[in-house]
Amino acid sequence: MWVKEIAASVAGVIPNVNAAASRRVQRWARKRQGVDAPITRLHPGRVYILPTGVGLVFALTTFTMLLGSMNYNNNLSFVLTFMLVGLGFVSMHQCQRNLVGLELRFAGTDSVFAGQSALFRIAVTNHAKSARRRIWLYAGKAHSEIHDLRPGESRVFIIPVATDRRGWITLNRFGIRTLFPFELFRSWAWMHMELKGIVYPHPAEDAPQPPATQSALGHRQHDARGEEDFAGLRKYQTGDSPRNVAWKAYARSGQLLSKQFSGADTSSQWLDFDEVETSDVEERLSILTRWIVNADRTREDYGLRLPGHSFPPAHGDAHRRHCLEALALFGLGGDHG
Amino acid sequence: MASSRGTDGSLLQSLPWTLAAIAFSLVPHLQFLPIWITVAFVACSAWRYTIERRRRSVPSVWLRGFLALICFVGVLATYDTISGVGPGSALLAIMAALKLLETRKRRDQYVLLFITIFLVMSSLLREQYLWSLPYLALAILLTMTAWLRMSADATESARQSFATGTRLIAYAAPLALAMWIFFPRISTPFWAIPIDTGAATSGLSDTMSPGDISSLSLSDAVAFRVKFEGAVPAPKYQYWRGLVLHRFNGRTWSGNEPMIGKRAREQVSISGEPTRYEVTLEPTRQQWVFALDMPYSWNLSKTFMGPQQQLAREHPINQRIAYDAVSYSEYSTGAGLSEYMRSWYLQLPHGSNPRTLEFARQLRESADTDTGFIFSVLERFTNEQYFYTLEPPPLGSNPVDRFLFDTQAGFCEHYASAFAVIMRAVGIPSRIVLGYQGGELNPLGDYLIVRQANAHAWTEVWLEGVGWRRVDPTAAVAPERIDSGISGAMFDGIGAAWGLAVPTLLLHRLSLTWDALNARWNEWVLGYGPENQNRLMQWLGMDDPDWRKMMLTLIGIVIALTLLISLLLMLRYRSPPRDRAAILYSRFVKKTGIERAIGETPDSFADRAVTESTLPAEIVRTITATYLDARYGTLDPAALVRLEEKVISLR
Repeated sequence: MWVKEIAASVAGVIPNVNAAASRRVQRWARKRQGVDAPITRLHPGRVYILPTGVGLVFALTTFTMLLGSMNYNNNLSFVLTFMLVGLGFVSMHQCQRNLVGLELRFAGTDSVFAGQSALFRIAVTNHAKSARRRIWLYAGKAHSEIHDLRPGESRVFIIPVATDRRGWITLNRFGIRTLFPFELFRSWAWMHMELKGIVYPHPAEDAPQPPATQSALGHRQHDARGEEDFAGLRKYQTGDSPRNVAWKAYARSGQLLSKQFSGADTSSQWLDFDEVETSDVEERLSILTRWIVNADRTREDYGLRLPGHSFPPAHGDAHRRHCLEALALFGLGGDHG
Repeated sequence: MASSRGTDGSLLQSLPWTLAAIAFSLVPHLQFLPIWITVAFVACSAWRYTIERRRRSVPSVWLRGFLALICFVGVLATYDTISGVGPGSALLAIMAALKLLETRKRRDQYVLLFITIFLVMSSLLREQYLWSLPYLALAILLTMTAWLRMSADATESARQSFATGTRLIAYAAPLALAMWIFFPRISTPFWAIPIDTGAATSGLSDTMSPGDISSLSLSDAVAFRVKFEGAVPAPKYQYWRGLVLHRFNGRTWSGNEPMIGKRAREQVSISGEPTRYEVTLEPTRQQWVFALDMPYSWNLSKTFMGPQQQLAREHPINQRIAYDAVSYSEYSTGAGLSEYMRSWYLQLPHGSNPRTLEFARQLRESADTDTGFIFSVLERFTNEQYFYTLEPPPLGSNPVDRFLFDTQAGFCEHYASAFAVIMRAVGIPSRIVLGYQGGELNPLGDYLIVRQANAHAWTEVWLEGVGWRRVDPTAAVAPERIDSGISGAMFDGIGAAWGLAVPTLLLHRLSLTWDALNARWNEWVLGYGPENQNRLMQWLGMDDPDWRKMMLTLIGIVIALTLLISLLLMLRYRSPPRDRAAILYSRFVKKTGIERAIGETPDSFADRAVTESTLPAEIVRTITATYLDARYGTLDPAALVRLEEKVISLR
């Protein structure tokens, strides 16, 4: 009731007061700490601490109780009051120690399409003999889940960072935070690891069909066929996709046979930047992305041709990634991290 | 609307602890709370717990508002007010019950835990006994565990939370102790302490009617404890003077409000040896201060002697107080009684108790002197069939007549009242003194326990040329009452009659031990005020202690202890040194040529190394097993040696 209201108003005021100041404080911290190595251990000097709203209400409560105890000269309520004050002190130190000595290590970023959240993975290791409790990572408003770390445990925390356009996404600053034990204090550390991730273009929602391709370049691909209707089996030849091998038949007969399909097209698909029928570059990239996603889903071979760059037809996760990364970074300069 | 009130069982891990904390903090309040509040609290707790169990919805805001209104009106109707410890704790209990019904998120439980703390505080403000300390400690432990349960995740067991809570409390305890000792105590309150009129305490009242004291005589409660400097006076001198009553309306005796009346004060002259002693008086919520007849000096502030040698304090005594006093058992007072005062002490209501008046006049005519008359009255009490009983029959109107001639059975107030009326009837000024008589010596602490059961009424009569003299008519009827004290008489009688002498003796000894403990507790813990603190500071070597010095010492000790706690925590969270086994194992990992993933256990890494690396599966397995043995297993040094051999042999 009233306690909650006070807590809410206190908690509400503090960020506002701090809004401008906090940016300055963060700049100061960045300057003070420098760029962090990809593996960084938290030393006590960089773990900051402030009371939370609940902590301020707690302080106010104990102060009122102290006045009451003094007034009534009641030695047992002095005991209660001083126990609470003592617990406040202890919880401050415990809160800070809950972070000190943790090791943070960048563990890669999951690439996503623009509009999705890029997932920055950070592994946190507790080298201590005691468990660390209620820890989470955050970047701005985004934050990971809260986890406990058993003695010696490593755990990957994922910070989902919202994206809106393709290209590199960088995370220059993130934090690690805890409220343990009593949520009276908030203890945190800022990390500056300059983490990067790639954001693919957003796959266009209503992309036109990719144009039928001609094998203009002449180098016919190994047998990549449209997999529409099953036509029959033929003897396996070098270059046949292992996905088309009739494994069941192999198990019965011991002979390698390839499945044949009567597809409309026997040549492989080329996705060409110049053939997308729109003038806007971003839109073209978006449509190409959609085509690649679709082609990958049907497991067709596909090639990608960008101005000054081309990926010969193939399929698989690595091929998809190469193509999408090329689209993501198209025209952004050769900044490869 | 319904969905926003739904529960998902996420409170199940913390709600039982929160409920336990509130329920436990309520225990000492139960005897003071009206039964409907207890019932309401239990009902709301069970209701809320069932809601969480079954994933139901909490009641709507209308229902909650309606309940809140009913409860608030209920508290007002029960207490007529909402201030004071009684109604305050009733309101807190109600708030806790109602807040439970709207608690949906984990963090809402903060409010409940703050209420718990206030409930504990209000219980301590109301009463402080020896058991209050364990109550306080357990309440803090439960509250802090509940606090931890609130944010704990599902993998953390209640036992772990409890262990964490205990550890943090153990860290905080020395800090609290240091603050408790050194925090400067002040003697004057900031604001007036509200008197809780709701809680009736047993003790003497300002007036005396038949039955008042006999009801007290059943109470085992301690009135005060006395430590004598020298020898303990004989029981027949242990008259603890309280208040003096002089006005009689035929049934009830009453006195004046205590006031500073230096002018009206009677002259007291003393002789003989003084008796020095210290009294620790339990709170009475009255102004009367008790001292051995006749008090001569006392060191209690704001305490004065009334016109009839009764001691009183300016403010009601709401806390236990201790004072030193000096008394003389030989004294004379009121040598010259003015006509006006004389008429005061002879006043009798017209027409009441006519048989007593008639009897007194007849008896006086047969006696030569006033003193002779007094003796013949006392003789009547001794020789005729008068009984001393705790349960006298009802007396109706003209109670003195009824008592003297019909029932002839009563307690000290009946005898004192009848005696005083008889004296007044023949023109001898008389008055009633209320106080305590006797007490029980506790050999364990070498002090006298005076209980409410020792409450007593006696008379004083004024004799020409002598002044006021104490006459105790009860002594004529039941001399054992005066010689061994009421508890002794009762103890012997009941114990012997039931053939329970031995266990009763043992029980009695236990109760004396308990009382001695309580006396220490009162003296050292509850009575730790400015004087005791000053004494302790001087004993600790602080010259001329004042609040500044104490505060500085306090801050110094708190800083030192905080550093110590910080050090303890640092040790707790330090990384163990990288041991030989770990170094050897990481060399082996390097040899496999594959990287160990974050959080990968040695076993799962071994599984991967068997398929992905060029090392023979057998070697991978044995090295992993030896490593686990050396690092986490029996800590057998032989395992480390084997690991060393195997890893080195990899080359």
